[in-house]
Amino acid sequence: MPECQHQWEMTNVRFGYVVFEKCFHCNSLETYFTTEANPILGDKYRDGDCFWSVVENAQSFQFDLRCTKCGHVEKFEDLMGFLHCTGCLDDCQVDIMRRQLEAKKTWILVAFGFLKKKGKHTVPSYKLDILTDYFNQRRDTKRSKIKILSFDLITDLSNCRGDFIHDVGMLSTEPIAERKPIF
Amino acid sequence: MNTQDLIEKLGLKPLSKFEPREINGVFISDMISDVMAGAKSGNLWLTVQTHKSIVPAANLVDAAAVVITSGKEVPIETVELASKYNIAILSTSLPTYELVGMLYALKPISR
Repeated sequence: MPECQHQWEMTNVRFGYVVFEKCFHCNSLETYFTTEANPILGDKYRDGDCFWSVVENAQSFQFDLRCTKCGHVEKFEDLMGFLHCTGCLDDCQVDIMRRQLEAKKTWILVAFGFLKKKGKHTVPSYKLDILTDYFNQRRDTKRSKIKILSFDLITDLSNCRGDFIHDVGMLSTEPIAERKPIF
Repeated sequence: MNTQDLIEKLGLKPLSKFEPREINGVFISDMISDVMAGAKSGNLWLTVQTHKSIVPAANLVDAAAVVITSGKEVPIETVELASKYNIAILSTSLPTYELVGMLYALKPISR
């Protein structure tokens, strides 16, 4: 029997917050998603040698994708969000691919997995392909396409000045100022 | 109805460079996460948000155009980024409510 040519739709949409917390002892950064009420900046707790403090939060959402043909559901609880490459570092693999693909009217976004003290949790490449398929299936690909890349390709995360597509500071009534980089 | 028709009918001010596109519906939200979860390809997106993050979000969902309501000033970096991605950024001094009323009266746009 031939494999299903999946046609994806978004399902199980959960609105919440991506929370960024930093340990002021070892300087590690961790992120997680929560559907709880607005996490309070500055909230602190101790976990072993680490003293975690919430340094940023962003209204966000999580979702799964369901195939409308066969009903298969692919879960994306490991996806923290998408980053728009601003071309800040010429030798970054993401920027190199961005320049190559934009010439073909293919726009790239970087899929971020969650950050943990012990390292980055990347979104598996087969899921990146599913996300790419999903966003292209719902657009006029004769005009342009989307390609989702892994954040593993960012050469120097600490110097990345890409823009997260999150609702950080978006609802302020203050005049717009450049958002501070998260890393 | 396409973006050019809409500009003429509602007196919207085009800010970015773009090619006219068919509009197949309207999505109203000031939250990017809400747009990414709910907007459809070809939708007109109404918002008061002007940060440049609206451009990759509009691009990701393949919005036909973004209309900035209530006369909010749009930063030049947002306009330049939108031009690069061929995303129409339109502005109006009308509040969102009034613009929605006018859009509702335009039968060719579904909701």
